[in-house]
Amino acid sequence: MRGPGVGSGLSGERGLSGKEAGADTEVAELLPFLVPGARADLQAAAAQHVLALTGVGSGRTLLAGQTALLRALIDLAVAPIPAPSRDASRALVNLAADPDLHWQMLAADPELPVRLLRCVLDPQWPWAEELAAVLANLSREPAPCAVLTEKLVAAEPERLGLERLVSALCMPSYNASAPLHYLGPLLSNLSQQAEVRAFLLDPDRCVVQRLLPLTQYTDSSVRRGGVVGTLRNCCFEHRHHKWLLGPQVDILPFLLLPLAGPEEFSEEEMEELPVDLQYLSPDKQREPDADIRKMLIEAIMLLTATAPGRKQVRDQGAYLILRELYAWESEPDVRMACEKLIQVLIGDEPEVGMENLLEVQVPEDVERQLQELDQQEQQELAQERRDKGAPRT
Amino acid sequence: MESSDPDPTDDSSMDAFLDKFQSQPYRGGFREDQWEEEFDKIPLFMKKAPSEIDPKEFPDLACLQSIIFDDERSPEEQAKTYKDEGNDYFKEKDYKKAVVSYSEGLKKKCADPDLNAILYTNRAAAQYYLGNFRSALNDVLAAKKLKPDHLKAIIRGALCHLELKHFAEAVNWCDEGLQIDAKEKKLLEMRAKADKLKRMEERDLRKAKLKEKKEQNQNEALLQAIKARNIRLVSESVGEDEDSASNGLAEMLLHGLSSENPCGARLSIDGQGRLSWPVLFLYPEYAQSDFISAFHEDTRFIDHLMAMFSEAPSWDSEHKYHPDDLEAGWLLASTSRMRTGQNYTRCPLRAPCCRCCSTPGAP
Repeated sequence: MRGPGVGSGLSGERGLSGKEAGADTEVAELLPFLVPGARADLQAAAAQHVLALTGVGSGRTLLAGQTALLRALIDLAVAPIPAPSRDASRALVNLAADPDLHWQMLAADPELPVRLLRCVLDPQWPWAEELAAVLANLSREPAPCAVLTEKLVAAEPERLGLERLVSALCMPSYNASAPLHYLGPLLSNLSQQAEVRAFLLDPDRCVVQRLLPLTQYTDSSVRRGGVVGTLRNCCFEHRHHKWLLGPQVDILPFLLLPLAGPEEFSEEEMEELPVDLQYLSPDKQREPDADIRKMLIEAIMLLTATAPGRKQVRDQGAYLILRELYAWESEPDVRMACEKLIQVLIGDEPEVGMENLLEVQVPEDVERQLQELDQQEQQELAQERRDKGAPRT
Repeated sequence: MESSDPDPTDDSSMDAFLDKFQSQPYRGGFREDQWEEEFDKIPLFMKKAPSEIDPKEFPDLACLQSIIFDDERSPEEQAKTYKDEGNDYFKEKDYKKAVVSYSEGLKKKCADPDLNAILYTNRAAAQYYLGNFRSALNDVLAAKKLKPDHLKAIIRGALCHLELKHFAEAVNWCDEGLQIDAKEKKLLEMRAKADKLKRMEERDLRKAKLKEKKEQNQNEALLQAIKARNIRLVSESVGEDEDSASNGLAEMLLHGLSSENPCGARLSIDGQGRLSWPVLFLYPEYAQSDFISAFHEDTRFIDHLMAMFSEAPSWDSEHKYHPDDLEAGWLLASTSRMRTGQNYTRCPLRAPCCRCCSTPGAP
């Protein structure tokens, strides 16, 4: 599954698209001004030109073809002050937003992920947020993600590893000048790798527990969404469900709390809920981002894949929260996901031998039917969106 | 002697040695009547060390101690000796003496920050077991200042915060310790416990806040209901008989309802928006009174009186208090304190209570 990425919103001025003939030559002429050792003001001007070029698709493609120039740009981005790293970093964000260019960036500098990581995890690096966004974009695709994971695991002795990354993510004040929100989507992408999930779910450590409060992080939906995506990916590991739902981690309240609103419950219902969801304030707000709400529901749905998991989710009053959410929800796809989850909770238990819904061997014809049903649902959703007159990008 | 090297088998030398005691008296031995006390003063044999060492009383022990704590030794050596002494007391669970020893070690102000960090941490542990959690926490902070990665200090600090119910701080200290050793079991368990307690505390705060808000809304509703009925509330302040400001009313109402009413009954409003008042019946003739905790505004005086006087009260010596013969003076705002010169108004017994209260122009 593709993780969340960062768009081209950081581009500079547009309109510098040159004619195709001679464009390569013009771009190549920027190289001497970008290299380390060039005059600072010329470096800055060249970096601004490059940033402007990365604002359009053709400009990005053009730049990616210039290996030496890419290398110089990367060197500039990770160069310390007073080098004009900011524009170079932003240019890299735009380049990395295009998955087709990842292999060229990595070919220009195979050490790119480690060099970026070293800067991102430096608590004094002023452009760490931009470089974190580059890494988040790079890690959207499986191949660069695997490379980055390998580097992270290998980098553990330098303390540039996953532990440091999680610590920086859990500590918004880690870098005084850069909040590092994009570490959230970065970790979410990385958690598609089995090794990363194994680290996050290590019962001998305290990793996933430290991520949980960030589901309520109000200052950034990027950070929040990244953490929720990470947690959802962890929930695919059904062998860890007992631990995740047990007292050592207690994941469910942190998935339900963002879905809870200001509705009142009776005392009997209140006692059924986890303490985190009891006596919520009348001005309690639900998670405003529909995509995050959907991911939360998907994570809970994964936890209901096993019979013991279903019982634990049911016993902790999840139905009460989802019932109120369903009444409130206006986004069709979130509403449908919520309805499915409610059906799982209040429906009958599956037949013997099919208790673990993540391990059931589905016959081919049944799978085909399910796919057709899914397509029908998607069409209905699309129709509903068209009827609302609010198409989503 | 015949030879300079005495022969062990030669009995004559032994005899000569023993013969000395025939002529020379033995000196320095125990006195027969006090040998047990004297025995106890020898460091090798004493059963327990005295709390204070008097050189005259315990010369041998004083000598040993001065050797151990010789000022000519370096401050580091002296501090280490005090640390070891403190550790011995700690093992014996004599935490007070351990604190004293660690304190003496710290007074040496030796140049070894690691040793000082250990002294602070160990003193923190002793203070902790004495129940002095704040003192323990202060020592832990001092230790951490000297050696930020001293894991034992951080574990102790987290324990202190837990005991002081600073649950959020306890979680933070656990996280800090897990930065040093990501798999420290004590910290993992403590963090889970502190986090759980923190969340329960947060729930309790939310519950109390909601309850307070609910009571506030209830009081607001009561005030609105009183105003809607055009009922005048007599202020407690002398000379302030007019309606007070809304805030003043709320304050006075709360004060009056809570403080002047020992039974704890209070004004309440039912599901249909009708009021029930705590009401005082005064019988000035006999200086007696009856208290009705919930007098519904739609009920009649006569119904209460018939219930109250179905049997003659003991103070009615002439048996003349019958419902049909009673005359009721009505005092507005029954929770107010009685004042001399207060005017009464006649109230019909067989009309609902609310009609009396809302008579326009009533004094």
